[in-house]
Amino acid sequence: MRWASKTSAAAYAGRTRTDLDGQVMETPWFAERPVSAVRPGDHGWLAYSGAEERDQVIGTFVREGLAHNEKVVYVTDAPPERVPGLGPRRRADAETYARLGQLRLISREDACLDRHGAFEPERMLDILAAEVDAAFGEGFRAVRLTTDYTWLLNGPSRSDLGRMLGCEHRVGDAVSPSTMAMAVCQVHRRACPPHELAALRDTHEVLVEVNPEFDDGILKIVRTFEPNGLRVEGELDAARHAVFAEKLSQVSMDRRRVHLDFSRLGFIDLGGLHLLAQHATALPADETLVLDHLPADVENVIEMVGWHRLPGLTRGGGRALPETEGIA
Amino acid sequence: MTLEHRAFMYSGPEDFLAVTVPFLESGLESGQAVVAVAREPNLTALRDTFAGHGTAIEYFDSAAFYRHPVRTLRDYQAIVKRSEPRSVCALAEPVWGRWDERQTLEWIRYESLINVVFAGSGARALCPYDTATLPDDVLAEARRTHPLLLTDGRDLINGRYVDPAVFGAGCDRAWRAGRPEGAEYLPIDGADLHALRSFVAERAAEHGLGRQPAQNLVTAVNEVAANALQHGVPPRGLWTWRDGDDLLCEVGDNGFWRPGPFTGFIPPDSALQQGFGLWTVRLLVDLVELKAGWDGTFVRLHTRR
Repeated sequence: MRWASKTSAAAYAGRTRTDLDGQVMETPWFAERPVSAVRPGDHGWLAYSGAEERDQVIGTFVREGLAHNEKVVYVTDAPPERVPGLGPRRRADAETYARLGQLRLISREDACLDRHGAFEPERMLDILAAEVDAAFGEGFRAVRLTTDYTWLLNGPSRSDLGRMLGCEHRVGDAVSPSTMAMAVCQVHRRACPPHELAALRDTHEVLVEVNPEFDDGILKIVRTFEPNGLRVEGELDAARHAVFAEKLSQVSMDRRRVHLDFSRLGFIDLGGLHLLAQHATALPADETLVLDHLPADVENVIEMVGWHRLPGLTRGGGRALPETEGIA
Repeated sequence: MTLEHRAFMYSGPEDFLAVTVPFLESGLESGQAVVAVAREPNLTALRDTFAGHGTAIEYFDSAAFYRHPVRTLRDYQAIVKRSEPRSVCALAEPVWGRWDERQTLEWIRYESLINVVFAGSGARALCPYDTATLPDDVLAEARRTHPLLLTDGRDLINGRYVDPAVFGAGCDRAWRAGRPEGAEYLPIDGADLHALRSFVAERAAEHGLGRQPAQNLVTAVNEVAANALQHGVPPRGLWTWRDGDDLLCEVGDNGFWRPGPFTGFIPPDSALQQGFGLWTVRLLVDLVELKAGWDGTFVRLHTRR
């Protein structure tokens, strides 16, 4: 297989580290990237909670590829109008891009099933390699590969995990050193038991998520889908109240309960607490705004003033997050 | 329902029990929520006396209950709120030996504030003062902060009681003028306080504050600075300096603000109420001083390591 490659070494050093006794340990090593920051060499992982999240991420992945003279190879049985990211005239667009060779929608049968309908990783690897190899000559600056593995994990044609892992390792080995290819592997979070999901995740270096709603280097706001809400990272202060309030009311529009993931919140000012309480009091009487993964510093301030002074706010689950990174 | 706030001058354990036991009994008989906050060995003596009453009385050791005046006000208010609709009968013996001069003043002010915070609560509070061990000035101030006085077996309306607003304004005049030569200065000029927080966090770490007090200080200074940005007038700035074990952070602006003598002391009902910010600032640091004068508005925060 000849994938356009920059060096023979993996693009990601640091997948192994040496412990105190000099033993080399295999530890999960992830880079997290919003989908727009995925770049050649990335073997990305997207464990999505539902169609909304998947379509936002993959829609962006596909759309930006097509907009930037990159080839998009999508292994899917979905008709073109159901492929995210194709714009309003989907079928027509799909046909145009397909004619240009920029969009390759390959059915599962053609991509990775043997004559008996069983999963055949070698076939898929060969086909993807051929697409990547051809891309440079076709005049594309990069190739975006994506497919949804969910059907392989819980469908009637369920493949065994060892085979899946072997396949993913080989995709990773092929993509990582490449200067042209990038891949996003999609799996529904509940397609398989958590330990299998974690094992699959660990064959990827890059965790892909939606683009942030806002990021100024101090405060970052990221939409979450399960639970519905926002992840608030960094520092929330008066200079950023307005944008936060705007994003909070947007995510509250469809009347689902809103969770705020504060696991990476370094600072919230008292005006921010006021803002949260103000938002919560406007909710229906039995509804609350849930604060998940409260850092000790933030919780300390809330407990100092007393939860009852922040009506409508409730403490949600857990404190630590990394154990479930990229799968929950 | 009016508050009964009575100072009780006692000498020795027998004298203490002779008055406090009937006081607590009367609370139990009239169906009040009864709490006893006392120093040892008084607390143990009370527990022994009321051993037959089970959990009817809630006991607290003064050493743990009286650590920070604004937090103690908050805690008493929580007891009053959760006891509703019953009123509270509280034996409330403060701690005096542990504080320096400025802290002592703040605790005296606290006694005066009790009259304001619990004015309509219907609570009865009896505050014992040990005449054998307490310094004269503490005993004298007790007569200025309690409207009722029980001394030498006589229960009196206290003629020396001072209106809490007047008393508080007097405390605000305790402001020590001037900052030392070596005070550091950081102008507050943009709307973004990120750099100010880093600056305070660094000073807090250098001073040897623990993680939590340091973070609390950052939150407090940020709030005061945000207020100065919103309501104050330039130039605005932050001074920091060290005074022994205290780290001082002072935010000043050129605006003219008239804080009342109760500003930031009265626990708000919720974060949505006016005054929540400054009240929380008072909770977060050891001491807050306000000064509003012709030369501007200054808020000085003390944090001890």
